[in-house]
Amino acid sequence: MPKVTFREANRRYRRGLIPAVVLYAIAAFAGSFWIKTFETPPLWVSSLVAVVSVAPVGIVFWLMWRLMRETDEYARLQQAMAMAAGGLITAFVSMAWGFLELYDVVPDMWTFLTGTIFFLSYGLIHRFVMKGPCEPGFGNG
Amino acid sequence: MDNRLRELRTAKGWSQGDLADALGVSRQSINALETGKFDPSLPLAFRIARLFSKRIEDIFDDGLGAMKRAAE
Repeated sequence: MPKVTFREANRRYRRGLIPAVVLYAIAAFAGSFWIKTFETPPLWVSSLVAVVSVAPVGIVFWLMWRLMRETDEYARLQQAMAMAAGGLITAFVSMAWGFLELYDVVPDMWTFLTGTIFFLSYGLIHRFVMKGPCEPGFGNG
Repeated sequence: MDNRLRELRTAKGWSQGDLADALGVSRQSINALETGKFDPSLPLAFRIARLFSKRIEDIFDDGLGAMKRAAE
């Protein structure tokens, strides 16, 4: 694959991200409206709406992965650290909620909210932690 | 790691953006390099050295060079 510049990598990411987000919004809203037209939605309808709603999320994950591969080394380090931290926070919150669910302390959580937790924690860390002052030599072992 | 990147860049009258474009990296990378937040990979260090027509060790100082000179 030919090497792309940092700017082109960001452009490629944005060009894919915006349509994916629009597609997600349309699928999620249109799908829920469509399901409500059925008294008892057939399994294939529910499955189709679920798959079409989550497919853009998979596309976004792939775009993030591709951006990490194509961007420059400093941006890649920031992204990797933010993703790792986001993943760790997501895992911890999910496990904590799971234990609380087990002992009936909290209500059941929809599994797909783990995606929301990841994007939220990744975004906050990328914006406020990774962009902020770092110790000299950060990320160099 | 200390470096002379800012000094060499300003001597040429370049902005951080100019240097970033010349090296094919982001302006944030140049800022991180100059402020010591980040050390470059070997390929990037070679590109920087070639751009300024200097040796890598004339631009970056890991502190051991000064110790060696003091010992000599």
